[in-house]
Amino acid sequence: MSKKDIFTLEIIKNGLITANEEMFYAFGRTAKSPVIYEVLDYAVGITDAKGELVAQAPGVPGFSGVLDFVAKEVLEKWNGEMQSGDVYILNVPYKSGTHLNDVTLAMPVFYKDELISLILNKGHWSEVGGMHFGSWTSDSTEIYQEGAQFPCVRLYREGKPNRDVIDIILENSRLPLHTLGDMEAQAASMKVAARRIEKLIEKYGIENVKYAMEKIINDGYKLALLNLKKLPKGVFEAEDYLDDDGLTDKPVYVRVKVTITDEEFIADFTGSGSVKGSIASPYPATVSGVRETYMAVTDPRADLSGGYFKPLKVIAPPGSAFNPVKPAPTSTYWEAMSYATDLVWKALAPHVPDKLTAGHFLSILATILGGIDDRTGEPFAIVEPQAGGWGAGYDMDGESGLVACGDGETYIASNEVYEKHMPILVERYCLNIENGTGHGKFRGGFGVIKDYRVLCSEASFTVSIGRNKFPPWGVAGGMNGTPNYCVIYKQGEEPKIVRKVAAVKLKKGDMVSLRSGGGGGWGDPLERDPELVRMDVKNEYITLETAREIYGVVLDPKTLNINWEETKKLREQLKKKKK
Amino acid sequence: MVYRVGIDIGGAFTDLVAYDDETGEFVWVKDETTPHDPSIGVLNTVVKSKVDFSKVYSIIHGQTLVINTIIERKGAKVGLITTKGYRDVLELQRSNRRDMYNFRYKKPQSLIPRYLRLEVDERIMSDGTILKPLNEEDVKKAMEKLLREGVESICISFINSYANPIHEIKAGEIVRKSTDLPITLGHEITREWREYERTATAVLNAYVKPKLEKYLGKLESEFIKHGFSRKPFVMLSSGGVASFDFAKKYPIYTIESGPVAGVIGGIHVAKLIGEKNVIILDGGSTTTKASLVEDLTSRVHTEYYVERTRFTAGYPVRVPVVDTFEIGNGGTSIAWIDEIGNLRVGPKAAGAYPGPACYGKGGKEPTVTDAYVVNGLINPEYLLGGAMKIYRELSAKTIKEKIADHYNISVEEASEGIIKLANENAAYAIRVVSVQRGYDPRDFTLIAHGGSGPMFAPFISEELEIKKIIVPVIPPGVFSAWGMLTTDIRHDLVVTEIIRLDRENASKRVNEIYRELEAKMLSIFKEELGVAEIVLQRYADMRYYGQEHTVKVPIPSSNINDSEVKKIIERFNEYHEREYAFRLDSPVEIVNFHLVGEYRVKKFELKELNNMVDSIDEAIMQERKIYINGDELNVLVYNKQKMSPRFRIEGPAIIEDPTSTILVLASQRAVVDKYGNVNVLRGE
Repeated sequence: MSKKDIFTLEIIKNGLITANEEMFYAFGRTAKSPVIYEVLDYAVGITDAKGELVAQAPGVPGFSGVLDFVAKEVLEKWNGEMQSGDVYILNVPYKSGTHLNDVTLAMPVFYKDELISLILNKGHWSEVGGMHFGSWTSDSTEIYQEGAQFPCVRLYREGKPNRDVIDIILENSRLPLHTLGDMEAQAASMKVAARRIEKLIEKYGIENVKYAMEKIINDGYKLALLNLKKLPKGVFEAEDYLDDDGLTDKPVYVRVKVTITDEEFIADFTGSGSVKGSIASPYPATVSGVRETYMAVTDPRADLSGGYFKPLKVIAPPGSAFNPVKPAPTSTYWEAMSYATDLVWKALAPHVPDKLTAGHFLSILATILGGIDDRTGEPFAIVEPQAGGWGAGYDMDGESGLVACGDGETYIASNEVYEKHMPILVERYCLNIENGTGHGKFRGGFGVIKDYRVLCSEASFTVSIGRNKFPPWGVAGGMNGTPNYCVIYKQGEEPKIVRKVAAVKLKKGDMVSLRSGGGGGWGDPLERDPELVRMDVKNEYITLETAREIYGVVLDPKTLNINWEETKKLREQLKKKKK
Repeated sequence: MVYRVGIDIGGAFTDLVAYDDETGEFVWVKDETTPHDPSIGVLNTVVKSKVDFSKVYSIIHGQTLVINTIIERKGAKVGLITTKGYRDVLELQRSNRRDMYNFRYKKPQSLIPRYLRLEVDERIMSDGTILKPLNEEDVKKAMEKLLREGVESICISFINSYANPIHEIKAGEIVRKSTDLPITLGHEITREWREYERTATAVLNAYVKPKLEKYLGKLESEFIKHGFSRKPFVMLSSGGVASFDFAKKYPIYTIESGPVAGVIGGIHVAKLIGEKNVIILDGGSTTTKASLVEDLTSRVHTEYYVERTRFTAGYPVRVPVVDTFEIGNGGTSIAWIDEIGNLRVGPKAAGAYPGPACYGKGGKEPTVTDAYVVNGLINPEYLLGGAMKIYRELSAKTIKEKIADHYNISVEEASEGIIKLANENAAYAIRVVSVQRGYDPRDFTLIAHGGSGPMFAPFISEELEIKKIIVPVIPPGVFSAWGMLTTDIRHDLVVTEIIRLDRENASKRVNEIYRELEAKMLSIFKEELGVAEIVLQRYADMRYYGQEHTVKVPIPSSNINDSEVKKIIERFNEYHEREYAFRLDSPVEIVNFHLVGEYRVKKFELKELNNMVDSIDEAIMQERKIYINGDELNVLVYNKQKMSPRFRIEGPAIIEDPTSTILVLASQRAVVDKYGNVNVLRGE
């Protein structure tokens, strides 16, 4: 390669990234399931001939780590037999997946007889069979109850649909038309990327395209090493508890040991307990979870490539919550997966303050509220995550009402849209001021309160809430945040506080109140700038009492002016008490 | 009355274009923009133009005051009155984390702090019925508090006011009794659903309102002092124009009023030369903008955001805006080497000051313009007709030191790298408005304007296989101001009401809604202009039942009966298939009713060229050495001002005039049409 061609390589690199982006948009535009085009619950990627990622676009951050595992499984199983026009289908969690709803297709790209690249597309299918409608569930005890398994078989052979496999898939789905539609859209979007790669080869030559792929991976590795240099070196540990084991009420101990050197970033979950229900995070999902924090502490805006992730190693003992083995159920895998992200975060937060905050509300509070609309006789369903409070930084208050780390460019629906479509009234949608937040020199952000009043004769309510018993953690003397929970108000009954319920029957006039927690604080609340405390009172984020008792700031109840003298005295008093 | 005048405020310059209806002559002048009080710059151009304003019958003004007030956070202290239970809508927003791996992500800050967001008891249901009547005492109390806190502007926004605005109207009346402050009611700005987006839009309107009222009031009286006796107009983001009075009430409708004029000008050029489907590329000094026009109609949508980037959510603004995509890549974009040693161009730019190194004004960073100068693509003696001195040696020095030496390559090779990446960035903008929206760029003609647009275009057309590029005869510096002269007076009304078209009596309600909107539209024009001869075009945002995303579909203006409904559904199916690549068997519903009213102004023709010179040889200015695609070649440079329609230039060649340079690549050829627009063609 001559020297002047280095810029051409840059253009081929951009071409590969754009090819991937266009596949992402094409699938988003053509998919039939709202979970694809609204929630962006999918990810696309392109690898080189060895299965190393050269471009990746996840719709949610939780999907950042699951595509290269698929590429490697396909290569391992089919290398030598692959033909141009083949498409492989996979969803088995343990080696390359998450839960059975997440189905990945893989398509090889050839130049003459040489394998150049694999194109990958993973999307959440609405239905793959199993014991309940929608396939994912919280009461399964074996994977066989969660739907059909597609063990890396050929969906297309040399460009033609493989009827045998497709018929089996459709026969196992409660929504065969949706399933077929998503599958076809997924395959079609991959062709968009394949064509772009073929065009790049045609225009710039096969050697240059191969070299550009190699360069992406090398550049990614180079950048990762540069970023690792900026991190503190050593061993960092954290521990925590899952609220329960998925089936009983018993908490599960989890831990991580993070080792950072100039060349490596190792997250070792050895010592973490195991779970019984479907909350276990398959190894690829655990890697995904760790990759989120790895991106956050190195460079959140770096291009995702195999090279960039090369220094990262994840150790998770088989059978633990972070590496379930067959036939363990995994359909609510995000519960344990979010802890993989959070444990590494917790271990590093005090040491990488310019990149990490204190703990956040973490749980996605997966909510389903559905029933039949009396006015039309048609079914309705809200299926959504909730937003909550994020932790404070060393120099800033936490954000209020933001989606959890497992969600990204995910939009909380508009209440006006809900009210129009469904027989519900959203009586309140506001910050969760009443439960407070993690106070500190900088305080956590506030959670959210959402009150759904049922307006139809009967509805059904399911919710899965984590971080209820063990609230978001504070840093450097900052207080812990507040728990996530839900209150069910049935007429004629006492309000009931819950964290996990399945298919609770509600009647007209009943209400559910979802409450996410506030994030953890950073630093001693007694060191908070009294002016900020005054503004918090003025804005009604905190009360006069909280200002006095926790922050040691004395305000005139009428004017809210700071009584500096009293404040000084009180703060000294409170400091002594703490010691 | 002979003149119409367009005045456009840009980042660096304020431009004025006057068109004499009788002679067909143009006058154009520019002066520096005066950011602290933009009206000064405007009035400077008025004086400089020497146009007799008592003979001006129409002034159209595009300004950047609205967007700058928001970006610089220099708006009014606003108080918000909202529905009980919804005080925090502005703070919650949609809760998305756009920069998803950034664990210190911050949402855009609410423009109103919590203590100025007050709740009142009231509740309207989604069908418009009243669940709880407005508590008038609450409104009075809220106002007392807001006035005590010294707010300068009031916004009232209630849940479901899109379905029934009665409470907002009532609350507005109560508030009016206690203050003369400007009031913005949510439903007046947009009748679309989604509480956060509607409230945020109304709040932004309230935020900029005091400033705009003052500014437009001042301009109006100054225009009168200069002898102007009619009502002046402002450019709207939708591509239409409206009176100053309208803009004082609803300033948020003018948020993109500058850039949009360039698109409208592009459409007018397309119309004159008989092109229907065009992509308009505006290559400026710091950014490149692209906009797609199908069948001479720009895509107008209400999904606009201020300050939205790949990594920030921005503020939603649900008013009609012409769909454009902007990327931080222009003539003064800076080339730099990232930490792993790869070359990048933009988004940082040298701007007008210090500008590219070759300006000699102290710019030390290598820019795209420096690369053009080094490789001979720009004539160092001829920029602004030679009025501006260009120092090639400064360009060469900085490119050598900052780029070429790093890679151990020649200055020309390094410059070519910079040019290639800048072209690639510009091509990306075109891909976004075409490929990502379901269009094939090969079906479009590229209209390239702006200082760098005609430089990017030849490369883009190769990359995206676009057959034809048109570089308009209008000088790039004043293209936007010129575009304003071609606009019609336009208003948009949008109202959300969901009608399933398979239901009985659906067509009845559809007719009713459009008739209501049409009556309202007529009264708006009556009040504004005293005219009734307006052109109405109906649109509907439609979708399959159960889906979220909608597609905008034109609706016939006749009475809609059942067979019309069938046709509308079929048209929706077609549009949906183009945009999303599939159709469904599901029932179809209308979500938003959208009515466009236009009062058509008299259009003007471009003047036809006389043959400037007899022979193409007389248009040749020089032979110049350029460096392109790794080769050094001698190419002929033609004077654009001497080009005649018969001439045909085979690439590689360069066509220049004082304000722009057009590159013709080896695989391309250029011809000039009868108006003087340069067409660059590739292929057969």
